[in-house]
Amino acid sequence: MTQLTERYLAAALRGIPESQRSDVEREFRSSIADALEDRVSAGEDRAMAEKAVLEGLGDPVRLAAGIIGRPLHLIGPDLFVEYRQLLFMLLSIIVPIAGVVSAAIALVGGDDYAGAVVAGIGGAWTVAVQIFFWVTVTFAFFERADAAREAREQITGATGRWTVDRLPALPAVRVSAGETVGEVLTNVLSIGGILLLSGAAWFTDASGDPIPLLNSAVWGYWSPVLIAVLVALAALQVVVFFAGRWTRPLAIGHAVLQLAFAVPFTALALTGSLINPAFADALGWPPLAHGNGPVMLAVAAGTVLVTAWEIFDRFRRARRAEATKAGVAGIGEPGQAAR
Amino acid sequence: MVDDELLGTHRQELRRGTVVLACLLALRAPEYGYALLKRLDAAGIPSDANTIYPLLRRLEERGLLASEWNTEDTRPRKFYRTSPAGDELAAQLMIAMTDLTASLHALNGGPER
Repeated sequence: MTQLTERYLAAALRGIPESQRSDVEREFRSSIADALEDRVSAGEDRAMAEKAVLEGLGDPVRLAAGIIGRPLHLIGPDLFVEYRQLLFMLLSIIVPIAGVVSAAIALVGGDDYAGAVVAGIGGAWTVAVQIFFWVTVTFAFFERADAAREAREQITGATGRWTVDRLPALPAVRVSAGETVGEVLTNVLSIGGILLLSGAAWFTDASGDPIPLLNSAVWGYWSPVLIAVLVALAALQVVVFFAGRWTRPLAIGHAVLQLAFAVPFTALALTGSLINPAFADALGWPPLAHGNGPVMLAVAAGTVLVTAWEIFDRFRRARRAEATKAGVAGIGEPGQAAR
Repeated sequence: MVDDELLGTHRQELRRGTVVLACLLALRAPEYGYALLKRLDAAGIPSDANTIYPLLRRLEERGLLASEWNTEDTRPRKFYRTSPAGDELAAQLMIAMTDLTASLHALNGGPER
């Protein structure tokens, strides 16, 4: 036995429980010696033969894992689906909450908005890493601990055998009447909101004249434009209903209209042209009207987010509808495809 | 022409399913690990040492093999032998294997060739 064999045995036996170690060691010593002798008597150089024998046995860590039946994976196929589901569920629920809470705490603590955003991202990231770590560690434990074998069976048992009831629903490709009514109603309510706010005046000035909430000089010009865009959006929604599904050209039209609303609205908010400064003063909180005040920043950010989502969502639905159509045309009868 | 690598992979898959049966059958006559490897090799069922040694221990743990140290030879060797339970399992697996082969021949479109 040379040092190479001793090193191999030491590496392999490290992973074997004390109770089996001497038995395994004895068996491997004789097995290696047998194989070595065979090769040497066949005329091979002893050093080369020893190398070949040990390499034939493979990685000692793998060999030890095989002997004691320890898995060579972190999370196996029995648990992987549950692992992934739980991980995605926890991440999608807890991470956004953590981000918002961290940002809010930073704001309350006196940070500026940039600081709050950084704190929010930092909080979300920390929580995401923690969730990933602990869920993975827990499942890896269930995977290998003998004592956890029962828990493992309970997890797979509780989730049970897969049945067709668990199939996710098909993405709703068809634009429904209810959805159309909802969208049109939203646009109508937005128009109503604009008209309502245009006339709103809760305070009066020294001479008894009302102080309008909105900056009438700017708003008088822009409100008809915004209302016109909202009307066009409602009309587009009706067109989509009769077309039956979102298509690429319709999604592009929708995106143009969304931007026609969002760009001027966001610009008005950020330049501080939306709220009448006199109204903010009368309220006793001048920052309300400021373009870099909290309310206007929130309005601008909200508008950008909602608009981006709306545009993305319509393109996604157009793509899905096209994919479904292509699928039907591909597998259906010629007559069915035409319908 | 079938890709050699593909053929090798699938042949290995087929063998992997039969290695337990091969060990149980071969060890009806007591044998130590290295000799078993050589015997399987000679019988046309080549196996890796790092598959066989762990497998022998697992089969022993489940009571399908019995083992005994023989210290009378040039060096001490651990001899394994198929237990009665292992024998029974081997008989059942052999029937299953024969059925499977017959089914494959039937699928292949005819009696044994």
